[in-house]
Amino acid sequence: MMRRATAVTVFGAALLALLFSCSAVSQTPSVPPKHPEDLPTGRVDCLECHKDVSTGALKPYSGFRHSSVFIGSHGTYSRQGQNLCTSCHSPAFCQTCHAGKEEIKPNVKTGDRPDRMAPHRGDYVVTHRIDGRLDPGSCYRCHGNKSDTRCKQCHK
Amino acid sequence: MGQRTSRSNLRKVLALACLSLSASLFLPALTGGAAAADLTLSSKTYGLFYERELSGGQKDKYAPLYEYLSTDATNIGGKPVSFHFYGWGRVDLGDDTGDNGTSGEVGSLYLEYLHPEGNAQLKLGRFFMTEGSAVGIVDGGFAKVTTPVGLGISVYGGVPVEYSIVDNVSGGSSVYGARLFFAQSGFVEIGASYVKENGDVSEKDLELYGGDLWLRVANGVELTGQATYNQDASEMAYQRYAVRIVPGSTFDIAAGYESYTYKGLFRGALNPAFLSPSVNPNDKVSSIFGVLDWEFVPGWTLELSGKSLDHKEGDPGDAIRGGVGLRYTYNDKKDVAGLSAAFVSADQAANEYQEYRGFASYSPGKFRVTLDALTVQYKQEINGKDDQFQVVGTAGYQLLASLQISGSLAYTQSPDFEEDWAGLIRLNLDLGTSTGGKK
Repeated sequence: MMRRATAVTVFGAALLALLFSCSAVSQTPSVPPKHPEDLPTGRVDCLECHKDVSTGALKPYSGFRHSSVFIGSHGTYSRQGQNLCTSCHSPAFCQTCHAGKEEIKPNVKTGDRPDRMAPHRGDYVVTHRIDGRLDPGSCYRCHGNKSDTRCKQCHK
Repeated sequence: MGQRTSRSNLRKVLALACLSLSASLFLPALTGGAAAADLTLSSKTYGLFYERELSGGQKDKYAPLYEYLSTDATNIGGKPVSFHFYGWGRVDLGDDTGDNGTSGEVGSLYLEYLHPEGNAQLKLGRFFMTEGSAVGIVDGGFAKVTTPVGLGISVYGGVPVEYSIVDNVSGGSSVYGARLFFAQSGFVEIGASYVKENGDVSEKDLELYGGDLWLRVANGVELTGQATYNQDASEMAYQRYAVRIVPGSTFDIAAGYESYTYKGLFRGALNPAFLSPSVNPNDKVSSIFGVLDWEFVPGWTLELSGKSLDHKEGDPGDAIRGGVGLRYTYNDKKDVAGLSAAFVSADQAANEYQEYRGFASYSPGKFRVTLDALTVQYKQEINGKDDQFQVVGTAGYQLLASLQISGSLAYTQSPDFEEDWAGLIRLNLDLGTSTGGKK
């Protein structure tokens, strides 16, 4: 109880400090909450329209080209801020994979988009026995705090 | 019980606060005319059908119907305020797939204020958060601000949204944390973070310290790093350092080092797959990895990847994973065809396999068809079989500008299935009051 009270106090104090410091907010324009133009289908290349550095991510747009390199390391970028991501992607997009409870595999939901990188193609219950032994950290990011009835059939 | 009650009360308070704020913002917006808000509504309906043969020869026919709904309202009342909702529900039309025929979840439900300058923001409600060492869904609040000199802070707190079906195990009762950072546009961002989760996952609370770095050392050359230390386990939970060369739109290459310890990374896990005895808590994985994405001529992209997996403990042994892929994009980027091959070469034969995949799509006018074939060859038999293959075909039609229907049929043979057919009907509805990207 004491710890919770401390946490609430610290959080409240930090929020108040932030409110008071709004006058000291950076004057760099924020990323718009919604990308103003319709986006084309397929992998996005920001450099088709944008040059230089994103005001939201404060990083060059070239780094956000949706190549397989970026898709595989997007977590590294999102841990420093999601404003640039959320300008084009709704929360539903992230939670196609990063869900709390989820019953349909991402590649089944996006079955009409085989070009998209989606994990667990085929009968992955079989292959996950190998991938899970060798590199369980790659599973943990989405499944660490979620265990469904399918997991429990074997992992008791 | 006490923790569950306080968690429930906190959730109720947050839900009421969120609803009150939503009402106060939405009601003026709805009466304020056409420019009240930019609204998007997305409905994705999936009807699945498949059979499973149970022990004893009984065949169950499953037909779960899923509805995924998301709505986003931005610029509410002409203010930099937005509202986001995402959730899904399931009803079984055939045999019970679990939870007595129904299930569902609210994934996101939050209000967001985005300051016009400096990317300062506030969030209140349920949202998926990635900030420094913290990754997860939270019922709570989040605030972030950057000052003119580049120093910034983010703070958050609430109740973690975690699930477990293991008896007497539930998620944490509260979570809070902060990240201090310094960012200079186009040059560097470096951060230090702290997150603490109180709860009944185990006897100890989860306490993490983290660091993250993005640094442009030259035009088109980036260094990135992230590290998380688990205070309770006294272990470096996770580290990843990479150099990336991305000079423009056609060439992208990265290489780096990654490592994690089971005791450090999995300490807060609710899934028994990550806990002893399923895994050896003393194990550590160290990896060297490399990835290449190169559009060597317009429309043609070569993808290469490689990763070594070195285990500190003898079992399950070390491995090397590699892959090569070729993609061709055509029809004004609406369609893609691809071929790929991947392999795992390991110390133990039971961990070795090769995977081959081919896919293509074709979208003439309002029609769209796709074909996706995959086979995996295992070095050692699993359940008496050493391979699996799956073929998935889809056909769709754009009924209206905002409404698309499609169906998929999948055929699978694997160590778990002698022969499996599965069907899916997909209905996508996307409505919006303005143009713009939300997908």
